[in-house]
Parts: sequence; structure tokens; C-alpha cells
Amino acid sequence: MVYLAILICGVGALRAQTPTDDLMMPKQDICIALAYENGTWDEYWEGTMLRSNANIGTFTRTAIMPMLAYGITDKINFFAGLPYIQTEATGGQLKGVSGIQDLSLALKAELLNQQAGPGKLAFLTTVGFSTPASNYLSDYLPFSIGFGARELSLRGILQYRFDNGIYARGAAAHLWRAQTKVERDSYYNNGYYYSEWMDVPNALNYNAAVGVWMFNNSLKLEANYMGLRSTSGDDIRIYNSPQPTNKVEVDQVGFFAQYYFKSIKPLKGLGLLAYYSKMTNGRNMGKFENFGFGATYQFGFSKKQSTNEN
Amino acid sequence: MKTKIFRFIICTSLMFVFSCEKELLTHADYSEYTFSSLDEKGGLWKPVLLSAANQIVIPAPKDVTSVEYQAELRNVKLAMSSLSSKQREAIEYWTNNPILRWNEIALELAAKYNLIPQPNPDGTYTLPDAANPSKYPLFPYAHPPYTCRALAYLSVAQFDGLISAWNYKYQFNRKAPYDVDNSIVPAYSKTTLPAYPADGAVVAMASRDILIAMFPLEKDYLIAKANENMSCLTWAGVNVQSDVDAGAIIGTEVAKIALQRAGNDGMRRAQAAKPISDSIKTAAVKRFGWQWDNQEVPVRGVGLTPLFGKVRMWNVPTVEEVRPPAPPAPGSAEFQTAANELQEIANNMTPEKRKIANWWSDGLNTYTPPGHWNRFAKDFMIKYKFNPLRSARTFAYMNMAIMDAGISCWDAKYYYHYPRPIQTIPGFKTIIGTPNFPAYTSGHSTFSAAAAEVLSYIFPNEAQQCQAWAREAAESRIYGGIHYRFDAEVGLTQGKNVAVYSVNKAKQDGAE
Repeated sequence: MVYLAILICGVGALRAQTPTDDLMMPKQDICIALAYENGTWDEYWEGTMLRSNANIGTFTRTAIMPMLAYGITDKINFFAGLPYIQTEATGGQLKGVSGIQDLSLALKAELLNQQAGPGKLAFLTTVGFSTPASNYLSDYLPFSIGFGARELSLRGILQYRFDNGIYARGAAAHLWRAQTKVERDSYYNNGYYYSEWMDVPNALNYNAAVGVWMFNNSLKLEANYMGLRSTSGDDIRIYNSPQPTNKVEVDQVGFFAQYYFKSIKPLKGLGLLAYYSKMTNGRNMGKFENFGFGATYQFGFSKKQSTNEN
Repeated sequence: MKTKIFRFIICTSLMFVFSCEKELLTHADYSEYTFSSLDEKGGLWKPVLLSAANQIVIPAPKDVTSVEYQAELRNVKLAMSSLSSKQREAIEYWTNNPILRWNEIALELAAKYNLIPQPNPDGTYTLPDAANPSKYPLFPYAHPPYTCRALAYLSVAQFDGLISAWNYKYQFNRKAPYDVDNSIVPAYSKTTLPAYPADGAVVAMASRDILIAMFPLEKDYLIAKANENMSCLTWAGVNVQSDVDAGAIIGTEVAKIALQRAGNDGMRRAQAAKPISDSIKTAAVKRFGWQWDNQEVPVRGVGLTPLFGKVRMWNVPTVEEVRPPAPPAPGSAEFQTAANELQEIANNMTPEKRKIANWWSDGLNTYTPPGHWNRFAKDFMIKYKFNPLRSARTFAYMNMAIMDAGISCWDAKYYYHYPRPIQTIPGFKTIIGTPNFPAYTSGHSTFSAAAAEVLSYIFPNEAQQCQAWAREAAESRIYGGIHYRFDAEVGLTQGKNVAVYSVNKAKQDGAE
């Protein structure tokens, strides 16, 4: 049930120029974005077994996600995000928490984008880094707002886009997670540990999407899949709390829509987005159903259009 | 060029992310050490359960000049000449004070088995069954009362076994292999402590058998641990096989004696059936007009070990003589002040208070508060270079005091049957889980004050630290929102009062 920073700034919201998509902004363009996300579950995977717990009842997590993107060059973009997250449960007497989660920074580079047959083939890579931005406690699951450790990610993104606007995209990333400091100096993790630090497992993250650009690149509709696999970690023991050392696995499918105001002069640069996703399979994780919506605004000093929208 | 830049970014970022990675220790970080004293008169100390230090009989050893001993000596030298790296690691792990390792093993098992049973699909709960330990929920559920008792029996058996060993060591005065044969270089510091019987073997066998009784599903693991512990004694060149065999006799016998007491101490009945639990609740309502009710969904019909307060104490004649006075009635002005404080703390939680609440939480899936104090004790023993006998004495008196404190605390809990804050304060939420037993008095406070009292006696230089820890442990439950201040404060007094009985007994045992 470790929350995934990647769900927030990478997969869920802010499809306009995110570290996981193919979009690039021209040099000196700036994009600011704000999104709201709501995720709930009333069942969770204890290991791989789906179960409920009346002392949690329905769990809700809401997030407000401001984000910034900047075109360093036409081929290299920079991103920063800083979500605020709140958690609570309808059952039991444990108090929910709220706070600023992790500061995430990323650089995305377009290494290839060229005509190949009836469309364009693009390859991009992203390096991301995130670090806790407040002293939230990672060891208070399921309420913790993050896993409380620094993360480094390296992602490859491959997309083929037909000239008629239909596209397919795949991405794979390796997430390296450091240790998280907890507020106790010993814990059980298939053996007893005498430390204030817990290993947060590294993970592999996969994305796949098919979609279409319509109405002269104003509307984007997309169906997508996200997979996450910890490369190590332990299972939640029976009726026990999760902890940051757990092995997390997620399969999630979703739908995403974004509209850019291009022709309406006063709204030029503005984009609106909405999305929905649902976990279909998991391990040591709440079975989330999420929806989110938000707005993006892009402006800049360059006259050029975003390269992939041409 | 671009790939080079990326490679550079990746490399430097990886270094930044992982530069502070800590090594995660799975056991106390200490090596064998030279004991600060040998307690040569330890054989004269008063045991806890044995009637005398020579109650358990071992055969007189063969002389070091005998053919048999010389053969054993050759075997030691042969083994030492071809040690594998795995054997060397084992020697280093066990050290010359395996008391500390066995305590650590007990704490690990406590944490492993400290899981509360989940509800059945029909909303009922099944309890662990000692007669069928591998059927879910696994036996035992190593909650604080269970764990404090396991630690007490472990420590008392180790202590009595070592008094017996010390008695024979100085009666027979058989030298250690390295004093018989100068060519032997032992892996552990040389001492003048006679080698027969091997104190390490006493500890290994006594610990093994107590822990198998307490954690029956770990039998194979514990047997392997004990075998390794005993093998290391000859591999390290500090004992010959007949030293080990004689020590094993004492360890085995003393464990039997301790387990005989355990079988009849009343723990078997502590997790009372629902009708008894209900009658205890009814009695409290009649007496005081209030009652504690479990707040979980589905409701747990019986609290944790309602009759633990009836378990036989070690050093306190009757539980009634240490029972604290009644708490303020819910709704009274004094109660209201305490309830207001909890809401005030919850509404203005600080990072410091949150950390204290979590630091001492020692809840499910951990070694419990008694385990936490055993860890402190172990660290002091390493710091002050205690020999195994004195280590065992410290653990024994501390764990007897902790168990007595637990019994007294549980007596108060079910006698007063006082409701928790989540029951009395509408809508109140906490940052740590509320346990399945009444509030008054606080277990953490009682356990901690008792432990601190014994440790203050044994380690006077650490008294201030121990008392501060106990107060913080008590305070932590208020910060966590699961205890009123009077639960914590009265618990501290109660724990101290109970521990005085153990300290007074320790003062008379001949070790000073």
C-alpha cells in the first residue's frame, strides 16, 4: 500500500508534458498545471489476497498537484511537481494525515523523432528525482502520504504516431529508492532489524497507451495501462499493517482526455484534462479507483509550436 | 554527447540518492569481550527456582591428564585447524556471552509471533490453540503479557543454570583447553574461569528448551541454533566436548524445572472464555458503574488475557497489595481534565510528540515494551562487559519484575475495567492503535517503571537515563491518544512499587 509518487506526477494527472509521455515544449516555453485527484478503496491486497478490514472501511486519498514544466531547449524539458495529499478512513479510530509529499524534478530529452512510413517514430528518455518535502511519516500505513525516501528514475519512452492522429506508446522505467527513516529503531521484516531505517524496494514501472489526437490536435483521448513491480520486499502479514518495506505490485487501467484551447484567442494556451483509472490487480496495496481533473496553461517567448503537435 | 550527459546525470544522481544508505543490523553489534569480573563466588548465589546450586547433579570430570581428556583435546585442535569460514562466522556471532544472543533470539520470535488474530468471515474470532499451534491463528500470539512471561522463564532458567555451572566450575576446577595446551589459541578472550561444565552449553540448552516450549513452531530453528552455539565452544577452543556435555545436562534439567513452574502458573487460564470475561465486566459495573468495551469491528468479545492478573507472581506475595487506587470516574472533573488534555494534544500534534508516541509504541509485529527494555539491558551489559552469570542475573531480576508488573497491571486493568479514550470521547481519533484491553493502568508505564527500577539498581550510573526513558514511555501513550495521564502516572508508581520486591530479593542473593 505504499503510495507511488509516480502515480501522481507521472501516470495519473498532467498528461500535458509529463515525464511519461511524448510531448515536448519548445525552448523557453513554460507550462503550469494544477490537478485534483481522488482515490478510494474499500479492499486491499494483503500479499496477493484481496481483503477488506472494517476498521478501515473505505479509505480515501485526495491530492492537489501543482506542477511546472519548462523548455530548456526544444529537445530537453524540465519538470517540477509538489503534491499535497490527504488521507482518511471511514472505519476505525486511526487519524488520517495530510501534508506536502515529495518534490519531484525531471529532465526529459527527445532523442529521436522522425517520419517512418505513415507516421512518426519518437524515442524519449526521462531522468527523474524525488525527495520527501516534509517530515511526513512513511511508517504509518495505510495513511502515510508517501514512502518517505528519495527516488531516482530512468525511463525510456517509445511512440509511433500515424499522420491521422492515432498513436501507440510504451514506456518502461527503473525506479531506484533509497531508505526511509522511521520513528522507531527496530522492526520486523522477515527477521528483526535494529535500525531506524527501512529499505524501500526498487521497482519497475511500465506504461502503455493507445489514443488519438482529434480536431486539429485540440482533443486527445487515450486508453492506458500502468504496471508497477517492486523488485524485492516482504508481504503484509495476516491482519497486520503494511510497512514501507513491502513488495508492491500494481496493474491499473485508465482513460484520459485533454482538450487544448487553440483557436479561441483569449483562452489560447489553456488546457483542461480529466482522467479515470482503476487497479485490476495488485499486491500489498489498496485497490484504488481514481479520478482526477485539472488545468494546464502554456505560454512562452518562442513562436514555435510544440514539436509533436506539428 | 547526449547519452554521455545522461550517463553522467544518472551516475551522480545515484550517488546522491544512495550516498547515505545505512547498513541494517539484524543483531546487536558486539564482539566477544574480556569480562569486567568473573564472579568467582557465583556458585554461592541464591538461585530463583533451584533449592541449591548442586540440586542438578553432573558427573565429576576426568582429569586433564587422562587418556579421555587428551583425546578430547586432540579433537578440539583438529577441529580448530580446519575451520570453515561459516564456522568462523558462527564463533564470532555467538561470542563468549551467548546469553545476549539468546535474549535477542527470544525478542525476534516475540516480534514474529506478535500478530493479533483476524476476524472470521462470520464476525467471530478464533484464538490460538497451544495444542494445535500451526493452525491459524498460529500459537502463540506473543502479546506483551505472553512475551514478558517467556522472557522471565528464559532468564530465570539461564540464571539458575549458570549459578549451578559456577558452583561446579569452582568445585572441580578443570582448566580450559588453552591452559592445558599452550598451543591452543582460543577465539575468545582467555579467562581463569574453570571450563567444566561449559557455561555456554548451559545457556544453549536452557534457552533452547524454554523457547521451544514458548514458541513450539520454532523447534527446528531453535535446535539448530543451540547446536551451533554448543559447537562453537569447542571450535573456539574454550571447552572440550565433556565440558559441553556436562553443561548441556544442567541446561536441560534447569529448563525442565522452570517449565514445571510455567505449566502451573495460571497462564493457561489467562485468556478466559466469554462467560468469565463477561462476569468480570459485570463485577466492574457493579463496583464502579463503568465498563470498558472493545471498539473494533467486529467487536472482540473477550479482551486480552482477562485473567493474567491471576498468574503467579515471582516476588510479590499477593497482587492485591500492589493494586493501585481507583481511577477518577468518567465524567468527573478530574477525568474531564485528562480527556481535555488528550484532545488538546491530538489537535496540536507536534513532530516531537508524534515521534515519542511512535518510538515507544512497540505494538503488534514488534518485540513489545518488555522486549524494548531487554534490548536496553543488553546494551548496558555489553557496555559494562558483564560475564554470562551477571548478565543472566540482570535479565532474571528485570524480567521477573517486568512480569510481576504486568500481572499487577492486568489485575488493575480488569479489576477497574476502565474505558479507553476512544470509548469515552466522542469522535476521538488516535495516531497509534488502541489495544484490546482496558485503559487503567497503562501497561507501558508499569512495565517500563519496573524495568527502570531494576536497571537503576544494577547500573547506578544509568539510573537517570532509565528513569527518563520510563517517564517518556509513559508519556508516549498520552501522545498516542490511547491513555489518560492518570493511567500513565499511576502505572509508573505501580511498576516501581512492584519492582521494589524484586530489587530487595536481588540485594539478598549474595551477588553484591
